[in-house]
Amino acid sequence: MKNERYDAVIVGSGAGGGMAAWVLASKGLRVLMLEAGRDYNPYDETPMFAAPRDAPLRGTGTPDKPFGFYDATVDGGWQVPGEPYASAPGSEFMWWRSRMLGGRTNHWARNSFRMGPYDFKPRTRDGLGVDWPIEYDDLAPWYDKTEAIVGVYGRNDGLENHPDSSPGVLHKPPAPRVSELLIQAGCHDLDIPCVPARRAILTRPIGDRSACFYATDCGRGCSIGAAFQSTTSLLPMALATGNLTIMTNAMVYEVRLDDKGKADGVNYIAKNTGKHEVASGRTVVLAASSGETARILLNSKSALFPDGAGNSSGQVGQNLMDTVGAAMRAQFPLLENRPAYNEDGAMGLHMYIPFWLYQEQARGELDFKRGYHYEFGSIGRREPGVGLGEVATFAGGYGRSLKEDMRRYYGSFLSFVCRGEMIPNAGSYCEIDPDTKDRWGIPTLRFHFKWSENELKMVRHFQETTAQIIDRLGGRLQGSVASPQQSISRGGEIIHEVGTARMGDNPDSSVTNQFGQTWDINNLFLSDGSVFASKAHKNPTLTIMALAWRSSDYLAEQLRTRAL
Amino acid sequence: MTTERKAPTCVDRRTTIKWLAATMVAANTGCSSSTKFLGDEIPAAPNAEKALLGVAATPSNVGYGTDPDLINPVVPWPRTMTDAQLRTAATTCDMILPADDQSPAASAVGVPDFIDEWVSAPYEQQQHDRELILGGLEWLEQQSQSHFGTTFSSANGNQAAELLDSIAYPDTAAAGNDKLIEFFRRFRYLTVGAYYSTEAGIKDIGYIGNVPISGDYPGPSTEAMAHLAGVLDELGLSLPS
Repeated sequence: MKNERYDAVIVGSGAGGGMAAWVLASKGLRVLMLEAGRDYNPYDETPMFAAPRDAPLRGTGTPDKPFGFYDATVDGGWQVPGEPYASAPGSEFMWWRSRMLGGRTNHWARNSFRMGPYDFKPRTRDGLGVDWPIEYDDLAPWYDKTEAIVGVYGRNDGLENHPDSSPGVLHKPPAPRVSELLIQAGCHDLDIPCVPARRAILTRPIGDRSACFYATDCGRGCSIGAAFQSTTSLLPMALATGNLTIMTNAMVYEVRLDDKGKADGVNYIAKNTGKHEVASGRTVVLAASSGETARILLNSKSALFPDGAGNSSGQVGQNLMDTVGAAMRAQFPLLENRPAYNEDGAMGLHMYIPFWLYQEQARGELDFKRGYHYEFGSIGRREPGVGLGEVATFAGGYGRSLKEDMRRYYGSFLSFVCRGEMIPNAGSYCEIDPDTKDRWGIPTLRFHFKWSENELKMVRHFQETTAQIIDRLGGRLQGSVASPQQSISRGGEIIHEVGTARMGDNPDSSVTNQFGQTWDINNLFLSDGSVFASKAHKNPTLTIMALAWRSSDYLAEQLRTRAL
Repeated sequence: MTTERKAPTCVDRRTTIKWLAATMVAANTGCSSSTKFLGDEIPAAPNAEKALLGVAATPSNVGYGTDPDLINPVVPWPRTMTDAQLRTAATTCDMILPADDQSPAASAVGVPDFIDEWVSAPYEQQQHDRELILGGLEWLEQQSQSHFGTTFSSANGNQAAELLDSIAYPDTAAAGNDKLIEFFRRFRYLTVGAYYSTEAGIKDIGYIGNVPISGDYPGPSTEAMAHLAGVLDELGLSLPS
C-alpha cells in the first residue's frame, strides 16, 4: 500500500471526508482516507439503552468525557491528550475534537437546517462580511441529494430563507411532544413560527439502516444507523465499492508538494509506531475540521509557499466563526403533575423556531444583522440522571414533601436555546503557536476570538423574546439573566467553528474557489467547514456534506478530463 | 453545550420582563432567624486528631480516561469514605428522601455508596464537592454530639431535623452559614440525582422510556393531550390549525 499512488488522499473521516470518500470511490477513483484517531465500530461500541446508573458518576460529564460517560467521543472533548492548543491572551476559545473514525459525526445533535438564499449573499444584504461565490440555487441539488443519502426528517413549510426540500426527500417528522406543542401555541399567539425541526435521523429505513425506534441518546452514536454518522453510512458504502482504503491512527501534518508546486500527497505520523510516513496521491482533499485543516495548511511551508500551502491570500486561519449561543431556563406551573407518557421520541428536537424577522430586519426595525433560531433543551420527562438534582434545588426542603415535589415538578422545565449567526471579524482567527508542539512534534494552534457588538445585540433580542414567550406561557424564569456579554457562549463552545480557509471568487481574498479547490495548488481541495464564507445560524454539518459532494463531483470531473 | 446557570431558590412569577429592563441581578434578600447552630464554620479538612467521623482515605488520581469501555463500564477509583462518614451520609440522605408508600428510602437503593463514589473521583468538580460534603457531614456530627450528646445517626428524629433545618432553608438559615447551606444543597442535589436514576426512583417519578418503539413515534397519549387542552384553555392559547 505504501507505494500505491491514489487518485485522492483524503484527510479526515467525518462529515466532509466521509462524503468525499463515498462520492469519489463510487465514481471508481482509488481513494486513501487517513484518520488521526483510532478505528471505531458503532455496531459493537455504542452503549445503546445503557442506564446512567451503570456508568461511573451516573454518566455525568467529566474532563475525560465532557458530554457524559456514554457520549460517543473517543480520545477527545475540549482537550485531546498530548495535543494541546492555546487561546491568545484576552481570548477564550474552546476546541472540541475527537480522535476516532467518523470524527464528530458520531455524536452530533443531527440538526440539519439548509442555508437559504440570503445566507449565501450576506454582504449583498447588509454590507457586512463577504458573499459566497455560489448562490443557494447552485447548491440546492446537492442539498437534495445529501438529504436523500443522509436521511433527514422535517417538513416543507415554505418559509422565507428556510428552503423547502424537493418532494419526497424529507422523512416524516415525529409527532411533537406536549411541551413543544405548548411552545408552539404560545409562539403562534406572538406571531413567531414554531415548526418541525430537521434532523439527520431516519423515520423510514434506508438500506441496512433502520428507522429510529425512539429511544437511547443520539449522542452515544446509533448502532441501528437511524441517526446519521459517517461510520454507519458513508464509510461502509464507500468501502463496499472496493475503492476505499482507510488508515486510522495516521496523524497528517503536512501537504507534500512536488517540484512544480502541485500536491503530491501528505506526510503523516503513524501513531502506533511514531514513524513519519508518506501517502501519495494525484489529488489531496483536506477534511480534517476547520481548525485542523488550517493547521495542516499553515504547517505546510515551502520555498514556494513560505506562509503555508494555499495561503498566498493570507486568509488561512482568518475569519474564524462559531455559532452564537445563549440559553434561558424556565419552569412552567401548568406543566406540573401532567400525565406521563413516553417523551423520549427521537431524543432531540421535534420542533424548533426558525428565524422569522427577515422583513423587519430589511426594513431596519432590528438593531442587529443576521438571524438566530431556537432549539429547546430538557424537553419533557426525560431519563433521570444526576442533573435531576436541579429539580430538588428548585423545590427546596427535604423529606416526604420533597418526594411529592419531585413527582410534581418533573417534566415542568424547559430550556430555550439561541443559535445565531456570527459575522467574521478581524479579531477572530487561528495561527500557529510559535512556542508549542504536540506530542508528535507538530506545531499547534493558537486561537484568537472576539464577539462583535452585533452578536451581543442578537443575544439581547433573544433574551427579550424568550422572556415574552416564557411569560405568555405562565412560566417562571430560572436563574438571573446576565448581560449579553456574560450570557453569550464562549468561542468554539457550540462546536460550529468554520471559515478558516474561506471560498470566494477572488484569489486575493479567499483560499479556494467555489469547489473548495485551492487557488494556489489546483489539486489540493478543502472539504470541511473551513471553506465557509459566512456562518449562517444554521448548524453547519448538512452544508459541509452538500459542499463536499459538489466539490467531489468537480474533482472527479477534473481528473477524468485530465485537467489536474 | 451551554453552561447552565445556578437557579436561585425563589423567583417571583412574571418578573422576567421587569428585570430584563432593569439589568438583571437577582437580589439576595434572604432573611435570617436565630438558631443555636449559629456561625459554625464548615470544618475545612477534618484532621486525624479531631475528626469525629474519622479521616477518609486519600483519593486516587486515576480517572477512567478518554476512551473507556462503554459497554462494560467500571469505576476505576476506590471508595474512600469511612464507615462513620457513610453512616452519617445514610442518615442525611434518608432524611432527604425517606421511604414512603411509593418508594424506598435513599439508603435502601445505594445512594450513600454513590456519594462515596462521587467524592472519591479524581476530577476537579468531584474534589470540590468532596471538601464540601466530608466537611458538612463532620459538621453535622460535631453539632449533634455537642448539642445532643449523641451521634447524628442515632439522634432522634426531632433533633436531627432541627439540625438539618438550620441549613436546609436558605431564607431562614443563620447568617454565616453559607458554606453549610451550599453543602446541604449539593448533598441534596446528588442524593436526588442518584436516587431517581435507580430502578426504584425511575418507577416512582414515572419516567417511561428507553424502550424501542416500532413504527411511528406515537406522541402524547390521549390523556396527555386532554391535559394540554386544559392548559391551553387556561392560557387563552390555541395551536395553529
